[in-house]
Amino acid sequence: MASPTSTFGLVERFKNGDTGAFSQLFQLYYRRLAVSVYYRMSTEMRAVNEVDDILQEVFLSASRSMDQFTYRSPGSFMAWLLHIAEHVIIDSARHQNREKRRAQEIVRFRSESNPTGPDPVDSNTPSRLFAQQEALQLLLKKLDALPPDYRQVILLAKFEGLTTQEVAAQMGKSRETVALLLHRAVKRFREMEPGRPADERQ
Amino acid sequence: MSANEPGDSSEFSANEENGSERDRLISQALADYLDRLSADEFVDADAFCRQHPEIAMELRPLLRSLNKMDEFAETSTGIGRLDEDEPLPEKLSGHKILGVIGAGGMGRVLLGYDEGLGRRVAIKMLGARYRNNESLRTRFMQEARALAKISHPNIVQIFSLGQASEPPHFVMELVEGTSLVEAARPLTYRQKAELMRKVALAVDFLHEHHILHRDLKPTNILVRPDLQPRILDFGLARELDNLSTRVTQPGEIMGTPDYFSPEHTAPGVHLDPRSDVFSLGTIFYELLTGSLPFHAETFAELARCIRQEAPLLPRRINRQIPGELQDICLKALEKKPEDRYPSAKAMAEDIDRFLAGEKVHASPTAYSSLMLGKIEKHLAELNGWLEDRIISDQEYDALRKNYGRLIERDDSWILNARRLSLPQVSLYLGAWILVIGAAFLFLFEFSALPRVSIVASVGIVSALTARRGLRLWKAGQLRIGIAYLLAFSLLLPIALLVLFDEYHLLAKVAANPDWELLGKLSDKFKQTTNAQMWWAVFLSLPGYFWLRRFTRSSVFALVLSVMTAWLYIVTLLRMGLLEWFDSDPGWFYYRLIPIALLFFVTAVALERLQLTNDSRYVYPLAVFFAFVALSGLAASHKPYQEWLERTFPWTRGQLEYLFIGNAAVYFVLQWICERLSSPQMRVVAKAFRFAVPGHVLTSVALLELAAIDRWHHKTGDLALKHEARLFEYLLPLLAIVFVYASIWKQMKNYFVVGILYLAVALILLQTDRFEGLARLSIFLLLLGTAAMYGATRYSPIKMALARLIRPPL
Repeated sequence: MASPTSTFGLVERFKNGDTGAFSQLFQLYYRRLAVSVYYRMSTEMRAVNEVDDILQEVFLSASRSMDQFTYRSPGSFMAWLLHIAEHVIIDSARHQNREKRRAQEIVRFRSESNPTGPDPVDSNTPSRLFAQQEALQLLLKKLDALPPDYRQVILLAKFEGLTTQEVAAQMGKSRETVALLLHRAVKRFREMEPGRPADERQ
Repeated sequence: MSANEPGDSSEFSANEENGSERDRLISQALADYLDRLSADEFVDADAFCRQHPEIAMELRPLLRSLNKMDEFAETSTGIGRLDEDEPLPEKLSGHKILGVIGAGGMGRVLLGYDEGLGRRVAIKMLGARYRNNESLRTRFMQEARALAKISHPNIVQIFSLGQASEPPHFVMELVEGTSLVEAARPLTYRQKAELMRKVALAVDFLHEHHILHRDLKPTNILVRPDLQPRILDFGLARELDNLSTRVTQPGEIMGTPDYFSPEHTAPGVHLDPRSDVFSLGTIFYELLTGSLPFHAETFAELARCIRQEAPLLPRRINRQIPGELQDICLKALEKKPEDRYPSAKAMAEDIDRFLAGEKVHASPTAYSSLMLGKIEKHLAELNGWLEDRIISDQEYDALRKNYGRLIERDDSWILNARRLSLPQVSLYLGAWILVIGAAFLFLFEFSALPRVSIVASVGIVSALTARRGLRLWKAGQLRIGIAYLLAFSLLLPIALLVLFDEYHLLAKVAANPDWELLGKLSDKFKQTTNAQMWWAVFLSLPGYFWLRRFTRSSVFALVLSVMTAWLYIVTLLRMGLLEWFDSDPGWFYYRLIPIALLFFVTAVALERLQLTNDSRYVYPLAVFFAFVALSGLAASHKPYQEWLERTFPWTRGQLEYLFIGNAAVYFVLQWICERLSSPQMRVVAKAFRFAVPGHVLTSVALLELAAIDRWHHKTGDLALKHEARLFEYLLPLLAIVFVYASIWKQMKNYFVVGILYLAVALILLQTDRFEGLARLSIFLLLLGTAAMYGATRYSPIKMALARLIRPPL
C-alpha cells in the first residue's frame, strides 16, 4: 500500500530519516489532536495550560519514540498519539499544583534561542502558527457551543478517528442512530458558520 | 458554473421536514464518508458527492464543513482576518454582496450576485488598510486591467472594473473548485500530467499576452470537477511591456516564497517567463510527490534552498512516479533560467510527448550533478585501485571511459539519439534522402533544369536545414537539432560543388585529365574537377569548425576529421594520385605516410590541449592511414622490395619479410604510444599491438609453405631442406610464444591467433616432417596432459623449481 502521504507512508518515511515527513504528520494530526486534547483537559487545567504546550510535548515525544510505534490499523497512529497525550496531560496535571515549569526546562522545537531543537513544521513561520492558533480557538468556540451529544459524536468520529461502528459501541447506540446524530451535529455545526460558503477561496 | 452552494441553513430545515428517508440516506453517506476517512483513506469530497447524485446538494456542504474542521490553517488568511471588522458594502458595481469567499494577499474576495443576469460573481476588493497606498492601488488595478484584456478557458474571466467612486474592486467569474494539489491527489499520474499541461498552456497564454503571473501556486489554481483548471489571483501579475512602472518597493518581495524561482528570491533581478516556468515546476513537484521541493523554516533559509539545494528526486519519494514526469519536473526546476524550458509552452509540449507515449526531451542537469558528486569520489578511489594494482590498466580505462560518458552533460540526449525508434529512424532516413537528392543534383547532368533553379534549390534546402537545426538546437531540442545540423554538414560541400559546377568555377581540368576522379569513375557523372572538390571541402571546414564550437557536440569533431582526411586525399588526387596508382602504387602508399603522421601530430597536439573529444576522432584516422600506407608499401612498393633483395639476399625479396618488418614497426609504435601514456594513446597502442601476431604468423606460415614447396621441387638441395625445416619448427614455437604473450597486456587476439596458427603449424609438421609417423601425435598427447597437469599443480611445481634453483639454507 503506502502512498507516501498516507499516515503509514509518512510514519515509514520519518522512521527512515525524512524529517519533512514528521512535519506533514504534524500538519495532518495537529487539529484533530488539539481538539481531542482540549476536551481531555479539565476546566482548571485549560485555564493554566495552553493546548499548544501539551501538543508540542505530545509531538516531541512522538517524534522521539516513533520507532516504538508499529502501524497496525488505520486508526492506530491517532490512538497512539492520544495515548501519549493522556500521559502528558496527567503529567502536567501533577505539576499544576507546584510551580509551573520554567520555560527553559521544557525542550522546545527549534527556534533562534534553541537552535538544536527538532524541527516543528517546515516553512511554518511564527505568524502561520499564530493563524493556526486563532483558527483553533474559533473551532473550539464553535464545538463548545454544540449540545454535548452532538459534540461527542463529532469528537469521536471526526477528531479521534473512530469508525462509526466503534463510536456506536462506545456510545451504546446503533450505527444508524450514530449516523443520524452525526448528520444533525454537522448540520448544527454548519449553522454556526457566519452564513458564508467559507471554503471557496478566490 | 453550477450554484450548488446553499446560502443559508433554512434550506436544510425544509429538507428535514420533507422526509426522514432522505435524511437517513444523507446520514448513511456521511457515516460512510467518515468511516473511509478513519481507514486513513483519501476520499475526494467532490467525487464522493458525485457517487450520490440524489443527495449531493445537501451532502456537499456537510462534507466541506467536516473537512474544514481539521484543516491546517493557511497563512494568507491573516490579512483577511484583520479586515474582517470592516463591514461589507451593500453593493459593488451593482452587485448585491452576499458574503466573503476568502482573503488574498491584498484584500478580500466577496461573493456577489448580479440580479440582472441572475448569476453569482466573485468580487475582489482591495483591503481597507491598503486603500491609501497609491502604489498598491495601482498594482491592484493593473492586475484587473491585465486580466481583462485576455480570455482563455483556463484563466479566470474578468467581467468589469470598479468605478472610482466605490472602494477599489473588480468583478470576475466565480470559480467553484478545489485547489490544484487537493484536486490532483486522487488522480492518476497521467491525469496529473494532463492537468499540468493545461495549466502550463494557460500560463503560456498569459506570457504571450505579456503578462507574468509571478505568484503561481496551487491555491491560485482552482480545479473544477470536470478537471478544468482555472488560474486566478494575479496579485503580482505585471505586464511585461510595462517594466518601467515599479509596483514593488525596492527590495520588497511579494508572493508566497514556497513557489518562488531562484531569481525571484533575489531583489531587483529582472524576471522573465522562465521564472513562472520554475513555479510551474514547483507545483508539478507537489502534484507528483505531495510535498514541496524546498523546505525551510525561515524565508532566508528557504531562499537559500531554492537557490542552491537540489530537490529530492520525486522517484525517491514515490517509485511509481513515471521517470519522464520526473525529468519534466526537474527540467522546469533548473536553477539557471537558461537550463529550464524556454517557455511554459515547451513544458506543455514535453508533457504532451509523455501523454503520447513518446520520449520526452527534458534532460535535467540535476542527474549529472547528482552523479558528478558520487563519480568524482569514485574516480579518486579508482586511481587508488590502479596504483594498488587491484584493477588493470584496461579495466581502469574502461571504467573511466564509462564514467566520462555519464559525466558529460550532453550525453543523455546522445544516448537518446542512438536509440532506434520510429521518429528517430525516420528523422535520419529523411536526412539521408535529402542528402542523396542533393548529391544527385551535383553528380548528374540535368539539361532540362536551368542552372539557377538547381543552384537555388540545393542552396535553399541547405540554408533551411541549417536554420531549422540551429533553432531546434537553441530551443534545447538537441536530439532533433543535431540531425538537421548533420544533414547540413553534408549538404554544405554539395551545395558548393553544385555552385562551382553550374557556374564553371575552378573548372580548369588538371594537367593530366586522367587524374580527375569523378570523370574516371563513370562517364555518366558531371565533370567535376578535383580543384572544385578541394575547394568545396576546404571552404566547408570552417563551417564544421564553427558547428563544433557552437554545439560543443563531438559529432562535428568526427565530421571535421573525416572531411580533413578527404581533403588530404583530394590534395593527393590533384598531385596525380590516380596516375601513381596505375603506374607505381608503391609511391601512392608512400605518400600516405605523411598524412598518417600529420594526423598523429594533430591528435597528440589536440590531446595535449585537453581537447580530448576532438582528438578521439583524429587518432583512428592516423592509425588507419598508417596501416594502409605500411601494408601498401610492403605489398607493392618495388624499390623497397629491391632493396630487401639486395641487402638480404637470403630473403629472395619475399614480401612476407616486409610484412614481418611492418609488424616490428607496429611493435615499436605501440611501445612509443604506451610510453606517451594517455587513455587515448593506450587505445592506439592496443590497435598497433593487435596487428602484430597476425602479421608475423601469417607471414611465417606463407614463408614456410613457399620453402616447403621449393624444397619439394628440388629435393636434393640440403640448404632448401634446412630452410623448410627451420620454418616448420619456427611457426609452432612462435605460435606458442604469442599464446603466452597474451598474458602481457591481456591481448586476447594473441591467444586466439596463436592457438589457430599452432594448429596450422602442427598440421604442416604432421603432413611434411612426420608424414606417416605417429610419434608427433603421441608426443602431443603427452605434452598436452603434462601442460594441463602442470597448470593445476602450478604453485607446488613453482615452489619445487625455486627450491632446486636456490636451495633453502
